[in-house]
Amino acid sequence: MDEAKGFVPEEVRDYTGAKLGMWLFILSELLLFGGMFILYSAYRYKNPVDFHHASEELDVILGTLNTIILLTSSLTMAISVSALQAGRSRLSAFLLMATIAFGLLFLLNKGIEWTTKIDHGIYPNSPTLLTRAKGEILFFGLYYVMTGLHGLHVLIGVGVLSVMLFFLLKEKITQSHFAGLENSGLYWHLVDIIWIFLYPLFYLIT
Amino acid sequence: MKYRAYILVWAGLIILTGVTFSLAGFHLGGWAVLIALSIAGTKSGLVLNYFMHLKSEKELIFKIAIPLVLAVLLVFISLTFSDVVFR
Repeated sequence: MDEAKGFVPEEVRDYTGAKLGMWLFILSELLLFGGMFILYSAYRYKNPVDFHHASEELDVILGTLNTIILLTSSLTMAISVSALQAGRSRLSAFLLMATIAFGLLFLLNKGIEWTTKIDHGIYPNSPTLLTRAKGEILFFGLYYVMTGLHGLHVLIGVGVLSVMLFFLLKEKITQSHFAGLENSGLYWHLVDIIWIFLYPLFYLIT
Repeated sequence: MKYRAYILVWAGLIILTGVTFSLAGFHLGGWAVLIALSIAGTKSGLVLNYFMHLKSEKELIFKIAIPLVLAVLLVFISLTFSDVVFR
């Protein structure tokens, strides 16, 4: 009994292993989105004019604004990790909150965009959409699936970052134990990279 | 200072977004997609190398695994696309 009391288990951390695991997950996500990008390219190649017309109906300003929001959220995320590594956990927590706020703002804009389209009767299998040309139906189908899956990733990212913020405030994540925050950051940057490609492919077809 | 480098990368990303946005106003025909995708690729490279620290990773596995998966993705895309084009 006394022996058990005095036993302090040595904490084992595999920093590189944790990061490698995160990267493997990120790479599998790239392949998931990659499949959709292949589908997109094939349909766009077959229906260039319809894709152009359908793309013009999207709100370019809102899309550009969302690009800027997400890029800025990546900046606050990157500095948040650096700040924690430098021991400035208050600054880190503040920037993490900013990242979460930018993520929510992105989702809000996306929500406005989607509801406007749905109000106009443009949603998968809607009677209005089905009267359109085949390529336009395909474009909006891809638009809802790809931005929807991306939006889901943003939502999950916001959730994960909120948990990290909680840990940071509870000092479960610290200057010497930052892998959780860093790996969540990697996920957040992945979501940013996917949007970097979605933006010109959906909003800027000429 | 590391923060400064991050802010410079961010500024670069915003500028490239502006370039993509403005180029869409010109009618570049078939080149438009290629240019837009090249810019998106450059932006991803900036995010991967600086925000995701790929540039400063010392472990060999990171230097191999990531380009390998990207290469696989590129092969998938080019094979599928050539099938669509030349069918």
